[in-house]
Amino acid sequence: MAKCTIDGKEVEFTPGENLIKVAKRAGVDIPVFCYHPGLTVVAQCRMCYVEVEKMPKLQTACSTNAAEGMVVKTTSEAVKKGREGTMEFLLLNHPLDCPICDKAGECDLQDNSFGSGSAYMRHSEERRTYVDVDMGDVIQKNMNRCIHCTRCIRFGDEIAGIHEMVAIKRGNNIDITTIDGKQLQTEYAGNYSDICPTGSLTLKDFRFKKRAWMLKKTDTVCEGCSKGCNMEIQHEGNAIYRCVPRENLEINKYWMCDEGRFNYHYTQDPARILNPVQKVGAAWSKITWDQGLSALKSETNAVNTLFLLGTDLTLEEMSAIRETVTRNHKNAKLLSFGTHGVETSAQDKSQDQILKMKSKTSNLMGAEKLGIEALQGKAKADVVVVFRGGRAQLPAIESKKTIGVGVFLEKEVTSFDVILPGLAFTEKDGTVINHQGKEQRLKRAVLPREKCKAIPEVLMLLLNQKTREVLA
Amino acid sequence: MEKQLSNKFYEAMKKLEPRYPNKKALILPALHEAQKEWGWLPKEVLAEIGEYIGVHAAQIREVASFYTMYNLNPVGKNHLRICTNVACCLRGADDLMSYAERKLGIKCGETTSDGMFTLSEEECLGACTTAPAMMANDDYVENLDINSLNAYIEKVKNER
Repeated sequence: MAKCTIDGKEVEFTPGENLIKVAKRAGVDIPVFCYHPGLTVVAQCRMCYVEVEKMPKLQTACSTNAAEGMVVKTTSEAVKKGREGTMEFLLLNHPLDCPICDKAGECDLQDNSFGSGSAYMRHSEERRTYVDVDMGDVIQKNMNRCIHCTRCIRFGDEIAGIHEMVAIKRGNNIDITTIDGKQLQTEYAGNYSDICPTGSLTLKDFRFKKRAWMLKKTDTVCEGCSKGCNMEIQHEGNAIYRCVPRENLEINKYWMCDEGRFNYHYTQDPARILNPVQKVGAAWSKITWDQGLSALKSETNAVNTLFLLGTDLTLEEMSAIRETVTRNHKNAKLLSFGTHGVETSAQDKSQDQILKMKSKTSNLMGAEKLGIEALQGKAKADVVVVFRGGRAQLPAIESKKTIGVGVFLEKEVTSFDVILPGLAFTEKDGTVINHQGKEQRLKRAVLPREKCKAIPEVLMLLLNQKTREVLA
Repeated sequence: MEKQLSNKFYEAMKKLEPRYPNKKALILPALHEAQKEWGWLPKEVLAEIGEYIGVHAAQIREVASFYTMYNLNPVGKNHLRICTNVACCLRGADDLMSYAERKLGIKCGETTSDGMFTLSEEECLGACTTAPAMMANDDYVENLDINSLNAYIEKVKNER
């Protein structure tokens, strides 16, 4: 394999790899702004200067491919001076308003300025200023902070498939905006905020809610569709503040859609049912777990019972339910439900050729692999028990009694009789299988709220009268 | 959408097409041709050029706004562009600019109410040897001073 030397370390590389990637493997971080591994290389921020032996001038590492025997220095005097100069230019118009900027703490500009810039600045002229442009529901733009890396423009063009961000004018007067100030149309707009190396494009949903360094991070998987995008839940004090994508080159690369990004909101919806409840007339009244479980037990002893299982549950929950049903309810049927019109993984196709899949639940493939058949049309039985993780679309139900176990919002369950509250995907560990057949782990980010219980626990209590009495 | 550009434009483009390796290279000549027809480039025209070339209108807008030769706003009959870059600035371009502003009664970037003059600033006309320089429509006026600028404006005014 070809080898080159970076800061005295010999590194192997495959031809065509640029110096940033190769240096990363050698443990050398090169500061970047415009370079993003998922986008084309434009080499316009000039931050990634490195010195290459036998080359007369500094080279941008992003646009220089490693070559056999190349000797690269990233910490020489010339490089330091070059980066410091670049940093000074990039900050010419930047307002340096980090204390009130939402990006502070996770800002490339801040980090690189601290790492490679100078503490002093010679510029004392007036900075250019812009009026903010409304960019739609997802993104808030502050052009003053922008350093024109054009990552957003390239993301729109190359990944989201819509060239909606533009660079108008040039030089000092450049303005990164949408065409004629239109609102952003892409359903992947949240990524604009992720890839922006400054506080120029911030998420409206997250702005001023929490400082970045206070957030705890839990790696998990999105439950928005069967794609299974890797994501990170950022939370503090048992409340989730935002979700951001994690890199997984085999699934979602670096991106995720807005639907998945903002999906977590339902878990914190005030209308979510957090206590065992029973329908009395038209209103819900709280009951104890013991009462709820007794109701579940006595009702499901009826002759004609149908257990419905959402394909948004984890494999562990599904198999626990299947086990319980096959052992204790020999005459009952067990069927799965998920997305209207997408009953099998064969019907689950890409929705937009980017990330989104047609199946709006994360574990359709898992249910299939466990051999649980899908419900066709209406759910019809004397008693219907619905197990649901929170995202599966409820089917039309025709029954004398309907019992829900899992996550439900009040408006979704007007026809239900009893609800036993369960855990949402942010509150439990488990395994899901995505549309490619890849097994991925969900991880608990926040603790269960109020009286919610995990489905395996509910089943265990259902079978064990003694424990129930002790716990209830 | 109604066609904004004439058949003449499309004929001219047909002729130019074989000259370039791909259609995208036609953006600059297409903008020039359209500007010849319209005098400036409204967004409908930019959209039509984008459609003709096969790229998003946004890309046309990016190109058109990069070059100062393309007018994205209506301009007067005489478009005066005074260079204020280094060489011209050292030779008094700023004074010329403020003189022109007073003389025409408009600010840089504006058009006189009779539609005769538009005044704008230019970054280097490449005429540093004959600084300060000005571009009036397609002509260069070089070695300017306040007297010759005044004379030029008077001359153009009387020509109408």
